[in-house]
Amino acid sequence: MFEAIAFYLFAILTISMFSIAVLTSQALYALTSLAAGMIFISAFFFILGADFLGAVQIIVYTGAVLALYAFGMMFFDTTRDVVEKRTSPMLVFGMSGMAALLIVLIFAAPIVSDNIAALYPVQEGVGNAQAVGMVLFTKYLVPFEVAAVMLLVAMIGGIILAGKKMDTSLTLLDEDKSPLSVETNEKAAS
Amino acid sequence: MSFEKFKDRNVGEDGYYMVDIEDYPETGWGKFKQVASRSLKGELFVGLWVVLREMFKFDIHTVQYPKEKLPIGPRYRAVHKMLRLFESGTERCIGCGLCEKICISDCIRMDTKYDENSRKEVTEYSINLGRCIFCGYCAEVCPELAIVHGGRYENASEQRAHFVEFEDMLTPIDALKAGQQEEFPGFGAIIPGSDKSVKKTPLAY
Amino acid sequence: MDTAYLIETVIKIVILLLVFSALAGFGTYFERKVLAFMQRRLGPMHVGPYSLLQIAADGVKLFTKEDIVPQNVVGPIFKIAPVITAATAFMAAAAIPFMPSFTIFGYEVHPIISDINVGILYILGVMAIGLYGPLLGGMASANKWSLISAARAASVFISYEVVSGLSLLAPIMMVGSLSLIDFNNYQAAGVGSWMIWSQPVAFVLFVIAAFAETGRTPFHLIANDHEIIDGFGTEYSGMRWGLFFIGEYANMFFISFVIALIFLGGFGDGSVGGALALLGKVSFIFFFFLWTRAAWPDVRPDQLMWLCWKVLMPIAVVNIVITGIVMMF
Repeated sequence: MFEAIAFYLFAILTISMFSIAVLTSQALYALTSLAAGMIFISAFFFILGADFLGAVQIIVYTGAVLALYAFGMMFFDTTRDVVEKRTSPMLVFGMSGMAALLIVLIFAAPIVSDNIAALYPVQEGVGNAQAVGMVLFTKYLVPFEVAAVMLLVAMIGGIILAGKKMDTSLTLLDEDKSPLSVETNEKAAS
Repeated sequence: MSFEKFKDRNVGEDGYYMVDIEDYPETGWGKFKQVASRSLKGELFVGLWVVLREMFKFDIHTVQYPKEKLPIGPRYRAVHKMLRLFESGTERCIGCGLCEKICISDCIRMDTKYDENSRKEVTEYSINLGRCIFCGYCAEVCPELAIVHGGRYENASEQRAHFVEFEDMLTPIDALKAGQQEEFPGFGAIIPGSDKSVKKTPLAY
Repeated sequence: MDTAYLIETVIKIVILLLVFSALAGFGTYFERKVLAFMQRRLGPMHVGPYSLLQIAADGVKLFTKEDIVPQNVVGPIFKIAPVITAATAFMAAAAIPFMPSFTIFGYEVHPIISDINVGILYILGVMAIGLYGPLLGGMASANKWSLISAARAASVFISYEVVSGLSLLAPIMMVGSLSLIDFNNYQAAGVGSWMIWSQPVAFVLFVIAAFAETGRTPFHLIANDHEIIDGFGTEYSGMRWGLFFIGEYANMFFISFVIALIFLGGFGDGSVGGALALLGKVSFIFFFFLWTRAAWPDVRPDQLMWLCWKVLMPIAVVNIVITGIVMMF
């Protein structure tokens, strides 16, 4: 009974949090509710007995990914509402809703006909982390390593894109050479 | 002791030395070496040891102010006092009005009348401590050494203008009889015991 | 899921909340006194004998102070941010065994709220969420100091999570479990079996990361009083600020417990002496947090990032590799 109560409670909380994230025009509300929704999703892992994945869900999504989003949000004034440019809101709403429904149906269709059976049921005496490790490093070794290489490539690409002028320090640069003063000089000239 | 030593104004040459400040490291490797040397040399633990030693020594310097106060010098100019004559116990003030005249911040007000002995008597005397700048001119000009500065420096008040009256400043008669009134040694008097803390001029040798 | 278990858990949660909220208050008193003695001062002296009732005075002040929500702030986020800090601090405590299990009235009590088998991971994760308190508080405050503090909080937390996670990986490899009770039992043989002797590098790295994640002095940048006022707490007053405060101090206590349990042998064999030893270790680590505040200067934010990514993280990775090689052969 506790499982059922917990499931419905967290289902309602998750859906309402993600609805806020989609529907609000205030960036901070969206960020906060997205983070809260991610934490509530981890509750499902805990209910299913997948403690390891629950903790990983909290650490990766809430602790790292959304914190990086927040880092990006430092660049604009989060205390103001975002004014969105909507030309035809009904069309956008209808199209995106249909697309989402379609995707859910496509992925759900094969499952409905099958009887759902866990491929790797929880074994007694084997810890959660061990079970995940077993599957990850035997059956899914190649996708795991490919994903790791892909992340590495993305990381190096990001560093190269962002770090072109990292060797020159703005504070140590001569005043007339710094990009800030060039801008002001141009403004003064024009 | 030779006289020359006192004429030599260049006092500090021998005792001074240049503090050894390293250049700020430019390269990453230099920065790393700096961090490594700073964290491995044990400088951090010297800091920890110093504060721990002080904690165990328990050599506390706190003055718990409202409960204990530091002594202040006799030349300190705080809220005024009115002295009495030692022999007769009558107040010294003769109502000449010089202090009112000289007061540069215009904070002293007094009113006098002739009493039955044709002597001037002070009827009203008040100092606005909100205006008073504690310059000490009143004490300096007083021909009778009647108004002097005391040691009460706590004069916080709720209003900008707050006053002290003649009766409040006057030495109470029983305090006088108990010998608690001290003679004002004169404006600009030397602090007692100051000879010990001042180096003698060369003429003294 | 029987009723006795439910009641026991609720009682444990209530006791934990009460004890550590009070300890947060007592921690401030202790901190003020220790800092004062180290700086040849007396510290608070006036509320009760040696100001022992200072907690009560501070509590009355915090509870009765006007709760100000300034103009232009994002109201709901501004109000919820302190709650996040305090709540995540206490949530992390759910997986910490505070004492060995003992028997009372014939009923065996485990002083841990939930012994999930990924205890350390859970604690690290929930402490990482603690980031959202300063972050959201700073971003919702409509104040430049708070915004700087929020940016620093985000960068410091994200960076030092990496160090704390990697430094703990080597001990986890040795123990082969993520539960803090297993960690404790691994070191139950005595002082010689403590993790600090086999993993000294991991210990130093984790302590450094703990200082960064609790925002204590060598890395006290998130709310650095002399350059960004109180950082994310600038606009807060009354009990909202108090919640930030309770969260910070509760975090310090919990991370002290974690360090003692993982590296310093925890409660040993579970006897009364072991429990007292655990309390002693935790007190010493807490004292160390205050001690460094009196002795060491702060580092700059860029130095902090440099230290994390270019020094500590490579050392942590090398430590893991060496541990792996040693364990393999």
